[in-house]
Amino acid sequence: MATEPAVKSIQLSHRTITLIGRYQEMEIDLLDRQTLLFLFRQMLRLRRMEEALMQEYHPADEMRCPMHFCIGQEAVPAALSLLVEPEDYLFSHHRSHGYYFAKGSPLRELFAEVYGKETGANGGKAGSQDISHHASRFYSGAILSGAVSIAVGAAFGLQIRKSRNISIAGFGEGATDEGAFWEAANYAGLRRLPILFVCENNRYATYSDQLKRQPNDNICERVVTFGVRTRRIFGNDVVKAYLTLREEMARVRGGEGPGLVEAYTYRWNSHVGPEDDNVNNYRPASEIQFWKENCPIRLLQEKLEAAGYLDSQTLGRMEREIAAEIAANFQFAKESPFPSAGDWRAMNWDDSSPLADRLLGAQSRSEFDQSQPEARLEPY
Amino acid sequence: MSRLLTYAQAINEALRQSMELCEDVVVLGQLVDYKSGIFGTTTGLVDRFGPDRVQDFPVSENLMTATAMGASLTGLRPVIVHQRLDFMLYSLDAITNWLALWRFKSNGHSNMPVTIRAIVGKRWGQGPQHSKSLHAWFAHLPGIRVAVPATADDVKGLLMESIFGETPAIFVEGRTLFSMTAHVPEQPYRVRFGQATIRRPGKDVTLVAIGVIVPLALRAAAALDKQGIDVEVLDPRTLSPLDVNTLCESVGKTRRLIVADHGWTSFGAAAEIIARIAEILGDNLRARPVRFCLPDSHTPMSMALEDQYYASDADLVSAIQKMF
Repeated sequence: MATEPAVKSIQLSHRTITLIGRYQEMEIDLLDRQTLLFLFRQMLRLRRMEEALMQEYHPADEMRCPMHFCIGQEAVPAALSLLVEPEDYLFSHHRSHGYYFAKGSPLRELFAEVYGKETGANGGKAGSQDISHHASRFYSGAILSGAVSIAVGAAFGLQIRKSRNISIAGFGEGATDEGAFWEAANYAGLRRLPILFVCENNRYATYSDQLKRQPNDNICERVVTFGVRTRRIFGNDVVKAYLTLREEMARVRGGEGPGLVEAYTYRWNSHVGPEDDNVNNYRPASEIQFWKENCPIRLLQEKLEAAGYLDSQTLGRMEREIAAEIAANFQFAKESPFPSAGDWRAMNWDDSSPLADRLLGAQSRSEFDQSQPEARLEPY
Repeated sequence: MSRLLTYAQAINEALRQSMELCEDVVVLGQLVDYKSGIFGTTTGLVDRFGPDRVQDFPVSENLMTATAMGASLTGLRPVIVHQRLDFMLYSLDAITNWLALWRFKSNGHSNMPVTIRAIVGKRWGQGPQHSKSLHAWFAHLPGIRVAVPATADDVKGLLMESIFGETPAIFVEGRTLFSMTAHVPEQPYRVRFGQATIRRPGKDVTLVAIGVIVPLALRAAAALDKQGIDVEVLDPRTLSPLDVNTLCESVGKTRRLIVADHGWTSFGAAAEIIARIAEILGDNLRARPVRFCLPDSHTPMSMALEDQYYASDADLVSAIQKMF
């Protein structure tokens, strides 16, 4: 029998969360074995990919772009990866790898991108924090709530076009410091847009604690006043994440208007890069220890093993397949050529206009009467 | 077939015809669906195309720009409008950090055909927060096209070209032009970006007139004609891209250059145009080039101060006379 947790996760906030001790509430009985194993495998893939990228980052110094690793935050992307449809839009912040992965965008193109290679998702122009993959409708960017705003725009477009697809915005609690986020929440609620906001609250904006930046840890309470449904979950429980996201995505898809899922989670590593940033002394060791003990992969793994769904042989095979995939991605990236610049103008402006060519005639010159008076403005 | 339309009517016609031609065109902006319709430029559109395609928007300028951007990813071709350019500045993040570099950082896989209209007030006490013309700021950005149409026929053709183009564009529209008429063809047509027009041919001096300054430039040229100075008035129509070829042809002929701009003097469009010409024709000029711009000062409200802030025809005449 599991011991009763000190604090039920229903009372979640980053202030109370470490009182949970060892998280005991994961209910694997709610999902079938296949789904559980898939969730596990997705989390493990993401973890091993991030570990490998960190390992190769230094001292090799061949990936020269800021990289924000998502180790510890695998549950939400893994859950999303089973739920998001190819025609849905997914927008991410700078900690992009998990969401890129969730959208099913080709991983070898992510590897090539961070190596700055021609075969990268963006030909080496974007790197980790700005990566996008247009064909799979995945976009990211580093200026926090800007991406949330554009996600609202995609939802607006989908609504106008009467599409059954939805837009998903992944962001951290730091993005809710910015006014743009609240403009987005207001408009999504006002127009009942088909958007799901996914807030991974990992407590810190770089080093700064949420409560140094906001009066309360209550994003859901604030967002709900805009007419956006909200759910708050322990974000390292991948079963809970999956079920919550599944339910909310179905409601958004079904025309019930926007929703927000706030998942409490934690990044194990520094804000950026593989080096330790604890020199800033911004988070207590006990807090880091709590979150490592409640690793999303370990929590599920223990349940799977106890249920007899996962044995060491299956796990070993999984690890080997993932290692081979990662090795192939590295090889692809390293062997790919660097891009050459070519035409700077064409990179920035598209001077073609196929639609205008089809729809519009040429201008016939006409005279402008210079003797006429200019408009005199009125108060409005 | 063309007929006289005001600048405002020409904008309205461009929007209406674009929306008729393609159901992906939508218009967003504060108050676009009221009868007054942004000085008449959107009047009647909501009756014709319905509230889905012509939408009032919260006073959330940054989100409005981002909404247009996200919508363009789903295949829409949004036009957004700011009653005053000054409000648009809330959207500098959307424009500078996202829209301008979207194509670039997608490696050419994704475009955002978004058209942004920004109206610039002038006189009648518009003051420092209703009159800034920041076309030079936007023209500084890679990935954005900037139009400064001066006439009704140009604004229609450029708007339609932008709406059905692939690159985002910002239109800086001088409010004092809105009642001015020109012959505007009835059928849909395009005016291409990066194609200047010679509004008045001349042989003695090239007067580049940007946007709202064009009528003043033409009046000054007519006055100088009577004094025996033959002024060529060149309207670039768009600042980005800039038609450097037509500029060079004109200045190559006249060998004198003055640029009149409705923007501050320092680091502005006039400085950029003079620099371009100086790099190519600097050794061949017969007079030092001249910037004829607004003082490096914010706009005053008082009508007395406005008269000193905004140049008159006589001021421009005098500036050109000094080049001889």
